[in-house]
Amino acid sequence: MKKWYYNPVLASSLKTRMRGWRTAASVTAYLGVMLFIAYIFFRIYIQSQGAYGLSFNANQSVGLQVYLTLAILQFALILLITPAQTAGVISSEREMQTLDLLLCTKMSSVTIILGKLLSSLGFILLLIVASIPLFSLVFLFGGIAVEDIAMLFLFYIITAFAVGSIGVFYSTLFKRTVVSTVVTYVTIFFLGIVSVALGVYMMSMHYSQTPQPVDYYIPFILYINPAVGLADLLSRQAVGQYAGNYGIIGLVIGGMGGTPQGWLQQLPFWVKNTVVISTIATILLVISTWSLRPYKKIRQKNKKELAG
Amino acid sequence: MLVIRDLVKKYGNFTAVDHLNMHVERGQIYGFIGPNGAGKTTTMRIVATLLAPTSGYVEVDGVDLQKDPIKVREKIGYMPDFFGVYDNLKVMEYLDFYGSAYGIEYAQRRRIADDLLELVDLSDKKDAYVDTLSRGMKQRLCLARCLIHNPQLLILDEPASGMDPRARAEIKGILKELKRMGKTILISSHILAELSEICDCVGIIDRGKVVIQGSVDQIVQRMAGETVVRFRVLRDVDRAVKLLKEQPMVTGIVQEDLVLEIACKGTDEELWNLLRTLVNNEIPVISFNKVDGNLEHIFMEVTSDEEVVL
Repeated sequence: MKKWYYNPVLASSLKTRMRGWRTAASVTAYLGVMLFIAYIFFRIYIQSQGAYGLSFNANQSVGLQVYLTLAILQFALILLITPAQTAGVISSEREMQTLDLLLCTKMSSVTIILGKLLSSLGFILLLIVASIPLFSLVFLFGGIAVEDIAMLFLFYIITAFAVGSIGVFYSTLFKRTVVSTVVTYVTIFFLGIVSVALGVYMMSMHYSQTPQPVDYYIPFILYINPAVGLADLLSRQAVGQYAGNYGIIGLVIGGMGGTPQGWLQQLPFWVKNTVVISTIATILLVISTWSLRPYKKIRQKNKKELAG
Repeated sequence: MLVIRDLVKKYGNFTAVDHLNMHVERGQIYGFIGPNGAGKTTTMRIVATLLAPTSGYVEVDGVDLQKDPIKVREKIGYMPDFFGVYDNLKVMEYLDFYGSAYGIEYAQRRRIADDLLELVDLSDKKDAYVDTLSRGMKQRLCLARCLIHNPQLLILDEPASGMDPRARAEIKGILKELKRMGKTILISSHILAELSEICDCVGIIDRGKVVIQGSVDQIVQRMAGETVVRFRVLRDVDRAVKLLKEQPMVTGIVQEDLVLEIACKGTDEELWNLLRTLVNNEIPVISFNKVDGNLEHIFMEVTSDEEVVL
């Protein structure tokens, strides 16, 4: 009997991807870059402590700083690597002239799209898992709990899923990998930088127009930015109980006025952020699945003709 | 096995397939012939569920393509004219992957893959990487891939293109074996002599329409009255072609280096006049003789407005 969880595209892609030295070399290079930057940061931090006449002491502050550096670095690398891994999954099949052979098999479009996405995310997941020992260095100093790292890694996986879905979407939409890769990076840039600028502008406009604001206003555009979600998550983990219940967004809103009301507003921003980006990612995957094969469209068209 | 009625495919204002009708019986090998851009590949891609038609009806083994394309995919094996292979995948893994794509159990697909590799004479290559195979071997492997789920209808778009004569002969042998196994085959090719050898039925398509179809013998009979003349010139072949195009009795021209084959309608007297016209225009004709009708001549006649270079 056919096993429901078996995905031929995923199995084959993982096999070919993990075969050979390239994957091992990529993981090594990835960890090397992270370790190098973390070490540089560590050195600078120790020197700066010395410059202010403070004797270096391996305390929670060092652990926290190293953790934040690694967390932001890993996040940036995920944003950088995931589009490269996913933006060509369908378009490269088209370029290699293998897509037709896949599409005329019995496999559903969902199986093909998910197989391609998951095999790329599998590589990202490998990078994330491989970085666990690096993050464990933080435990030498203290200040960060295992749950914090687990939560951060969950956030990474959701972010990789969301960014990967954007890559798959454009890869299905555009015939050429170069085009889909460029458009994916432009979208990530918009999400990461432009959305923050727009969001902050909208917030400042909102609060400037209400001299004594009582409402809790966060523009929707900030919810689609995983970087803001990460900032919120890290601020809660770094400041702990001093951050209150509202993280970095709560602090900003608190500074401008307004108090979160009700359970939905009091839900951590990063949780709402992950829900929003996961929903958008799922919608993009549904559209990708829909547009992969011509026949769903024609069947719908025929139904309309019959109805007419 | 395959019924196509009034099939139309338009790309904007361009009509690639224009009310095409076709009927392929179970167990037949149907040769699909036409000049480049005639609509062969478009038609085949529609039958392979890779393109949606603008209008028309396609039925494969009693299944309406537009109502149940998934069921149709189970019944067909499609080999495109150009296809790629995955790097880093071995021959056996390649077949195993496509077998799993059709939901065939591991042990069963391994067994089938072994049999198919034997059929296409690639058993000794099963542990070789696919991208290291020659073009001919890749074509044979792709043919094996088409067969992994035991389809009833094979759609082969130029399966022997770019292959040397030996490799083409091997493909021909495999197709004969598949016919013996009861498979229905829709095949397109430019190598008409080969098609006429293996096909039970041929259809000639031009500008998206099947202009003539039937068995090779039937078509040759129907086209009786046409004369095919082959002649060789010493030089000035372009001028000869230009001159021939101006003659109303000439319905088709095939040029192969300095040899020209023309299809024409007319009496021997008119043929003599044609030769005289060439000679009077100082075309150095060094041989001139009538040849028996065959698929190539019929092809050039029914696609008469085209100058076909084979």
